[in-house]
This record gives sequence, structure tokens and C-alpha cells, in this order.
Amino acid sequence: MKTKNIEAYTDESYPPFPTKGTLFWRRFIPWQIIRFFVLNLKIMKIVVGGHS
Amino acid sequence: MARVVVLGAGIAGHTAAAFLRKKLSKNHQVIVVAPSAYYQWIPSNIWVGVGRMTIDQVRFRLAPLYKKWGIDFRQAKAVSIHPEGEGRDAGPFVSIEYTSDEKRGVNERVAYDYLVNATGPRLNFEATPGLGPGKNTVSVCSYDHASHAWKELHESLAKMEKGEKQRFVIGTGHPTATCQGAAFEYILNVAFEIRKRKLEHLAEITWLTNEYELGDFGMGGAYIKRGGYITSTRVFAESFLGENNIKWIKRAGVTKVEPGLIHYETLDGEELQIGFDFSMLIPGFAGAGLQAFDKNGGNITSELFAPNGFMKVDADYSPKPYEEWKASDWPETYQSPAYANIYAPGIAFAPPHAISKPMTSKKGLAIYPAPPRTGMPSGVMGKVVALNLINEINSGRQEFKHKASMGRMGAACIVSAGYGMRRGAAATMTVFPIVPDWEKYPEFGRSIGYTMGEAGLAGHWMKWFMHYMFLHKAKGYPFWWLLPE
Repeated sequence: MKTKNIEAYTDESYPPFPTKGTLFWRRFIPWQIIRFFVLNLKIMKIVVGGHS
Repeated sequence: MARVVVLGAGIAGHTAAAFLRKKLSKNHQVIVVAPSAYYQWIPSNIWVGVGRMTIDQVRFRLAPLYKKWGIDFRQAKAVSIHPEGEGRDAGPFVSIEYTSDEKRGVNERVAYDYLVNATGPRLNFEATPGLGPGKNTVSVCSYDHASHAWKELHESLAKMEKGEKQRFVIGTGHPTATCQGAAFEYILNVAFEIRKRKLEHLAEITWLTNEYELGDFGMGGAYIKRGGYITSTRVFAESFLGENNIKWIKRAGVTKVEPGLIHYETLDGEELQIGFDFSMLIPGFAGAGLQAFDKNGGNITSELFAPNGFMKVDADYSPKPYEEWKASDWPETYQSPAYANIYAPGIAFAPPHAISKPMTSKKGLAIYPAPPRTGMPSGVMGKVVALNLINEINSGRQEFKHKASMGRMGAACIVSAGYGMRRGAAATMTVFPIVPDWEKYPEFGRSIGYTMGEAGLAGHWMKWFMHYMFLHKAKGYPFWWLLPE
């Protein structure tokens, strides 16, 4: 991500921005493979509960 | 022998027809009436809109599949419903008008014993002057719109490659439009494409929305557990836009679009404009515009349909203030209260009210998102309606063993934010239930355990995987019925 200058007191200046570490984990394949299965499991739980 | 007519072959209609045909004996007839020759997997239109997929990757022809399944397919649009027939002895029927090249304009009456109205939404571009393809903005609501959006976006990118600055405005094109999720996906994908070409310095990207706060998504926002806090989806959404150098304008109802200029009114009552070179704005939705008549030819449209054209079902439509809304107001069988053999799953049913809090500008303009109904709940509703009908047809009893209320059903939404097995990105979001249930979950309205949001490559893999999985299911490939909706 490009370095940016925050313009204070604008809406865009208030949200949290991801750190380099966060961006790394988002694309670190071994970790994302684990997250892929975890997210699938969570969604499946919701899907199964959807049919009452 | 029972005759079931399904109007529409979108996610709800196609799912209903598939299960009806699979589980009903061949003595019973299943007829599908749909104006398009194709089934389309709408969530992947986002990727068509940024040139990552072709339209043939997100659609397939219905006629060969329905022939193989033994479904009678008529490529036509439904015009009117006659639940009591016409005259003394006739049974209920639907009037249709063919849209296929061979029979275009030919009218026909299709008799039914059971009717599943899954006509989805009509894209109501007319409600905002100047909005939509062929006018001043593009859309990603259908594969042909998305393909056109890519052509326009490609032109803007080409201008940037020549050093010309471009202004992109993406969001909602009507003060009460919904489907913010799709527009949000699109803006993140557009930002990704610009970044990938190293053209950020020439782009000004703006999110224009009718939401009171970002992350509302037409469902009143949500709370998710993240980083040691339970935090609003507002933070999640703002962070994504901030990270991608996207500015935003919220609480804005688009009232008119002129070439290169969007007019909008804010909740403060200000009438403002924003210029653009490329704009994708989601239109308002309305019902398909079906009419209904009794046996004497009297117009009973208002008995079957709400004023916005969506079909009334087993919801609590009594007018009440936001503070008194309940999850139990939402329908669970999608049966018409007027005629017990008519159902309306998917987007075709009239919601009892919005999910987001209604807001009105100082000048009296309603500016807030209508409730969304994404693919997952639409598929579940279609299946539930089919299973109840199958049970009724086989047993002769109307029992409603299967129910699917948006007040008790969860949904997953994967917001794509880039493409590629290593460079892609997405935000995976789940909510449970879709409609907040403040009686059951008094703290945050939803289950914090089941409501979550997470960004990363895994989400992109999931969206990519779901594209192929749901097309596998829709095409009726082996074991399709085992795949979830």
C-alpha cells in the first residue's frame, strides 16, 4: 500500500488503517489456508441453521 | 396431477423449480416462465464489470437443462395473474408474453394449480432521471449491464494510461436503493484495477451512499468481534475505503443524473452535485409489475401486491414505528394471504418494512436503504417453498414443515476486493440473523458468535470457489442437491 498523508478532520482520517503486519497476514498463504477452512466451517454452521 | 408454475429463473425460482422437478413424480408438471434464455450467477457480475470474467462464465442457457430435467420452459414474461380464472368454470392461470426470438410478442394463458412468483426485482432506473445504461451511468445488476460497465471502465483506464485524470463515483442511485454490498464490492474492485495499473495518482474515487453510516448495507449495520473489541461494521467499511484511498459521501439520496454530473440531496436538506467521468450507481428496485384480476375481470392487484409491486406474503404489514419492529414481522412460508396456492420467495416478496432505520431529509425526502435479499436467503426461500409444495402435493395436506424467516436465518456476504489466487482479496462477512432480533439478542441484535467479518486472501478463494460451486449446482451437475443454497 502506498504511504499516504492523512488529511486531519476529514471523514477519511478516522478509520483504522491496517499495519504492515495486518497486510502481511492477509496474504500469507499458510495462514490464509487455515482461515479458508475456518471461514467455510463458520458459514456452513449458518447455512445448516438456515433451514428450520 | 398437479401443475406448478414458477415465474422467474433467478436464484429463488431456479432453486424451487430444480427441487420440485427432482422430488415430484413425473405425473406432476413443472413449468418455468422466465423472460431471459439464461440463468446468471449474479454475484460474479462484479468480476464481469472489471473485465476479469466474460459473460459466458457467469451464465448458461436454461432450455437444454430444463429439457433434460423434464421442466416445461417458456421464455416469456408474466403479465397478469388470474387466481380465480376467468368466467365460471375456468381454473387459475397466468397470462404470459413470449420474449424468445421465435415467438416474441405471442400471448398465452398458462393454467396452474400452484404458482411460485419468483420474478425478483425490476431495476427501476426510471425512478431517478438520467440513471442507468443508455443514459449517464452504468450498472452491474445483470451480466449485460456488467459487460457494458467494463467497456466504460476500460475506456476510463485507457484515458488514465494517457495521463488524463478520472473521477469515479460508485454507490446507490436512488434515495432508497439497496444492494450496497454489490456496489461496495465494485468500488473495491475498481480501486484494485487502478492500483494494479499504478494509476492511483490519476484517480479520484468516491463512494456515494444513502446509508446513514457506512457499513449499514441495508440491514442496519452489524457488530462483529475483531481485535479484542466488538465493533460496528461502520469501522470495518470505513477502514476498507480509507485503505484504498476512497473518499465517501453518506446520507445522500441521488435525485438526478446529467452527463458527468450527479445531483443528490443530503439528510440535512442540502442539494449538492458531484462530477464524474465514470459512475456505477445501483438503481432502486420495484416489483416485476404483474397485474392481478378476479374471475369477473376486476383488478385485484392491490390485494396481491404492495404498492411497490412486490407480492404480499405471510408478513406482518401493519404500519408501526421503527422502535416496534420485530424479527417476527418477517415472513416464513412466503404464502400469499389472499390465495393459498400462490407463493413469492426471493426478492419478489414485499418486506414488512425496512431493516435500516427510515430517515427523512429536512425537505421531506426519504433517504435510507431498502432491505437487501441476497442470493443465500433467496435460494433457501426457493427451496423451502418447493419442499412445502412437494409435501402438500404428495400428502394433500398443507403443513408447512419447512420455514425460512430472515429473522431466523443467517447470511454470508463475501465482498470481493481484488482478483487473483495470490493477489486477490475479499472481506468475508456473516450475519445471524439477517434481520436483527433485539428480543433474542438484546445486546447487539444478532449473535456475536455467528456474526463476523474478516479480510484476506481466503475470502477471495471462497468467492472464487463459490462461483464454481453454485454454477455446478445450478447446472444440475452430479450431486447438485447436496450443495447448500
